[in-house]
Amino acid sequence: MEKISQSVVKKDHAAKMEGRSIYVADYNTAKDGRKILTGKILHSKTARAKVLSVSVPDLPEGYFYVDARDIPGDNNVNIVLDDMPVFCRDTVEYIGEAIGMVVGPDAKEVDRILSGINVELEELEPVLDLRKSTEAFFNYEYGHGDLQKAFAEADKVFDEEFETGYQEQAYLETQGMMAEPEDLDRMFVHGSMQCCYYVHGAVKRVLGTDNIHILQDVTGGGFGGKEAFPSILATEVAVAARKANAPVRCVFDRREDMEYTSKRHPSICRYKAAVKDGKVTALDIDVIFNAGAYSTLSAVVLQRGLIAAPGIYNVPNIHVTGRALKTNTSPCGAYRGFGAPQTFFAIELLMNHIAQDLGVEPLAFKEAHLVKQGDPTSTCGEYHFPVPVQDMINEIDAVCDYRKKRKEYAKAQEGRFRRGIGMSMYFHGAGFTGSGERDLIKAVTRLHKYPDGKVEILASNGEIGQGLRTTFCKIVSHELNIPFDDVFFEHPDTARVPDSGPTVASRSLMTVGELLRRASVQLKEIWKDGEEQEVEERYKEPDFLIPFHLDKFEGDAYPTYAWGVNAVELEVDTLTGVAKVLGAYGNFDVGTPMDYNIVMGQMEGGLLQGIGYSSIEKMDYDNKGRIRNNSYSDYLIPTTKDVPNLKCLLHVEKYPYGPYGAKGAGELPLVGVPGAYVEAMEQALGKGHRLNHAPFTAEDTLFEIMKEVGK
Amino acid sequence: MVNYAPKTLQEALKLRQETQSVPYAGGTDLMVENRKDVSYLFINRVAELQQVLEDEAYIRIGSGVTFTQALENKLVPELMKEAVSKIAAPAIRNAGTFGGNLGNGSAKADSVLIEYVMDAKIRLLSVNGERIVDVDRFYKGRRDLDLRDDELIAEILIPKQKIEKYAYQKVGGRNALAISRISFAGIVDTQDGKIKRIAAAFGAVADTVLRYKEIEKTMLGKTVEEAKELRETYIKAYMDNMVLTRGRVSAEYRKAVCENLLRDFLELI
Repeated sequence: MEKISQSVVKKDHAAKMEGRSIYVADYNTAKDGRKILTGKILHSKTARAKVLSVSVPDLPEGYFYVDARDIPGDNNVNIVLDDMPVFCRDTVEYIGEAIGMVVGPDAKEVDRILSGINVELEELEPVLDLRKSTEAFFNYEYGHGDLQKAFAEADKVFDEEFETGYQEQAYLETQGMMAEPEDLDRMFVHGSMQCCYYVHGAVKRVLGTDNIHILQDVTGGGFGGKEAFPSILATEVAVAARKANAPVRCVFDRREDMEYTSKRHPSICRYKAAVKDGKVTALDIDVIFNAGAYSTLSAVVLQRGLIAAPGIYNVPNIHVTGRALKTNTSPCGAYRGFGAPQTFFAIELLMNHIAQDLGVEPLAFKEAHLVKQGDPTSTCGEYHFPVPVQDMINEIDAVCDYRKKRKEYAKAQEGRFRRGIGMSMYFHGAGFTGSGERDLIKAVTRLHKYPDGKVEILASNGEIGQGLRTTFCKIVSHELNIPFDDVFFEHPDTARVPDSGPTVASRSLMTVGELLRRASVQLKEIWKDGEEQEVEERYKEPDFLIPFHLDKFEGDAYPTYAWGVNAVELEVDTLTGVAKVLGAYGNFDVGTPMDYNIVMGQMEGGLLQGIGYSSIEKMDYDNKGRIRNNSYSDYLIPTTKDVPNLKCLLHVEKYPYGPYGAKGAGELPLVGVPGAYVEAMEQALGKGHRLNHAPFTAEDTLFEIMKEVGK
Repeated sequence: MVNYAPKTLQEALKLRQETQSVPYAGGTDLMVENRKDVSYLFINRVAELQQVLEDEAYIRIGSGVTFTQALENKLVPELMKEAVSKIAAPAIRNAGTFGGNLGNGSAKADSVLIEYVMDAKIRLLSVNGERIVDVDRFYKGRRDLDLRDDELIAEILIPKQKIEKYAYQKVGGRNALAISRISFAGIVDTQDGKIKRIAAAFGAVADTVLRYKEIEKTMLGKTVEEAKELRETYIKAYMDNMVLTRGRVSAEYRKAVCENLLRDFLELI
C-alpha cells in the first residue's frame, strides 16, 4: 500500500464519536447570544391548487407569518432553471410545497398558530402518472451510427421496458438551516449542506444583496440530498430572519424530510436492441425521469443518466432520447449516482435477457462487448485510460466463485429455497458532466500558511462524512512533507474561502484534491519559515480532453472513469418471497485510495445502500400525490444483519491527473448494484422468469413465483 | 403532567386506581409514540412483575420480564424464545417486556402470537383483586383490550405442555429492527397415529391475531392419513375465513404467504 493510502484517524473522529460536534439543531443561542426563533413551514396539503387566500390568526407579539410578499429580491431559488419559488406563487404544485412560514420564540405556540391557519384553495387536477405527463422540463437527444440500417439487418430485435423507484437518502441528520442577521445588514446563514456557494448564490438572489455569508455546519450525511434542498430552506429562513430581524432556525422533522425533500428520480427506460451474429449492433433508448413539480437538478441528473445509458459496452449504433417530466410531487434531486443507477440497471438487465435468449451465459456475452482503452464513449469521446473491467471480473470471480455458482444454480431447483447469483459492471464518470468544471465551476483553492508553520486549506467543499477534512489534509501534508497535524481544514464559510465548487459528482478529491496538491507544490517552492504566506491554484482543464458540446452530447463527458463490478448471491424463500443475501461483492477502481479505511467505508456503505435500492427500499405516492413511506418504520433501509457477508475489493488503475492517481470514489459503489441483485433474483427464480424493475421486493418475488404453473 | 414510579406491586396498583396513569414498562412503544399530556406509571422497578415462575399448571411470565431475560431463562418455552429472539434488536429486547408487547394491543406483537397458539391466559390485577382471561378474549381488536382502568397486566400464564412439532415464521421487512408484516405459528401433536392437538395462528395480518378453533376441531382425532387427504380442504376452510387487511404490504400478498405457511405447517402432520 502506498504511503498516502495508509489510514489515519479522521480529523473529525473524536468530536463526532464523543458527541461534541455541534449540528445546526444543537445551538442554544445565536452567535451573538440572541435567542433563536423557531420557524416552521406551512406546507401545502394538496398536490395542485390555486391558492385563493391564506388567513392567519392574530399573532401574539414576537410571532411572524412570512410568505412570498416578504421576499426582498426574486422569489426564485437559484438551482438550474430557477423555476422553484421560495414560497409558493399563485399555485401550489406538490404536497409539501412551502406556502409560508410561522416564526416565533416558542415552538409549541408556533405549532398552534400553524394549525390555526386557514388556506383557501381551488383544487386543480394534479398530474401524478409519469406515463401521462406531457410537460418535459428537459428533453435531450443524441446518437451516432446508422440505427435504421442496423435494425434492418438485425437477426433479432429486442424491445423491453425497465422501471426503477424512488430512493430516499436517509441521512441521519434531517435538513436544517439557520439565519442570523448581523451588523450592517449582513445576513449569516448556516446549517446542514453540501455546497455553501450554491446556498450563497440562492440567498443572494432572494435577499437581493451580496451582503451575506454562508457557513456549513457539521453535517450529518448528505448522499446528494443536501446538494439542492439546502438552498431552498436557506432562502426561507433568510427571508424570515430578515422580516423578524432576529435569528431564525428551521429544522425538519423526519416526516417532513422524507415526504417533502428531494429523492432519487423514479424512471421508465425503454430499450430496443438490434442483434446480429451474436452481437448487439444497435441500441435505441428512451428514458423518462419523474422530476416532480419543479425542475431543480433534473437537467444534470438526466444528462448523466443518458450518457450512461448504453452501459460499458461497445455498440456501434446508438440513439438516446430522454425527458425529465413534471408531475405534481416533491421535486426529485441528487442522490449518489445521479441518474446513472437507473440506466445502468436497464442496460445490465437487457444484456442478461438478450444473452439468455441467445443461449449464452450473460457474463460471457457482456465480456464480449466490453469497452477498452481507446474506444469511443457513448458521446464520441474516448476512453483515454486503461479499462480494467475484465481483470476486475476475474478478481471477483476468485473471491465468490461466480462462474461455478452461476452454473450450479442454473440447474433446476426444487424445494422451498432457491439460489441465484448475478453480476453487474459499470462506471462512474468522475467529476462534473461535460465542460462544467471549465465553464461553470472554475474552481479556486488557497493554502494559507501561518508563521508557526501550520497550513490551513481554504476550499468550499464540505465534510459530509466522506472524510474530506482528513483526505484534503493528507494530500497537503504529503506534498509539503509536513506533519498531518500541522494541516487543517475547517468547515467552509463563504466569507473566508474561495469557491472551489460544490461537494458533488465525486469531484472533490479528484479535482479539488489535485488543485490542493499543486498549491502545495507552489507553497513548497516559496516556503519561508516564520512567515505568513498564501498560495492560490485555479482549475485548468487537462489538455487531452475532447471538448464536450452539450447541445450535441458530443465529446468527453468525463475526463476519466471509476469502474465497478458487483456480484450478489441470493437465496429466495418461495413460501414468503423473502430473499436472503448470501453475499454481496464489490470490486471498485477509484484510482489510488487517499485513505484505505475511508475508501472502504464508502465502498461498503454504498454497496449496502445499493442492496437497499434493489430490494427493500420502496417508496411511492398515493392517488392524491402523498408519499406514505414517511418514517423509518414505513421506509426500511438495510442493516448489517441483512447483508452479513459483504466484501469489497479495490482495484487500482491510477489517473495521472488526479492527486497521486486518485479519481472519483463516493458514488461508484451504489451505481450498479440493482443490476446484479435482480439478475441473481432472476436466476434464483429460474423457470424463464424475466424481471424488469427495482426495487424487487418480497411481495414482487412471491407474485412472480405465483405465476408459475400450478401455483 | 405528573408521573409515578412505584417500587412495589401494591403501590403500583393503588396508583393505577387513583390516577389511571398509563403503565410504562420498557417504553419501547411509548417512547416512540411520545403522547402529549398523559401521565405515566413507571412499573419497571416493580420486582414482583419481573419474575418467571413455575407452578403445577403454568409457566408464569411476569409482565415486566424483558425479552432478553426470557431468552436467558430455562423455564420459558423454546417456541416463545424463537419468536422473541427475532424481535427488533438487542437494545430493544433489553428494554421491551411481555406486558408491554400485550398492552400495546397490536396484532403484530411477536410474543402474543405464541400466547395464542399455546392457549395462554392473562392474569390481571387491581386493588380489588384478580381476573384471569384467555389471551384471545383479552385481545379484542386493534388497540382494544379487555383491560380495566384500574388494572395492570401482572402475568402471562402459559399452560405447561409438551410440544412435539411446531412451525414458526416471521416475515419482516428486513432481518433486524423490523415489525412483523406476517407471522405464523403452528403446533401439532399426534398420538397413536391420530391428531391429538392442533393450533395455528396468524399475526400481523388483521386487527387481531387470527386463530380458528372451529377449523382446528374438525382436524382433531383424524388419522394422519385422513388429515393428509383433507389437507387442501382444511386450507380452503382457512382461506375462506380469513379476511386480511393491507398494511405495509398488500392483503393479497399476506394471504398468499399465510396459505403457503399453513400448507407447509400441515405437512408436518
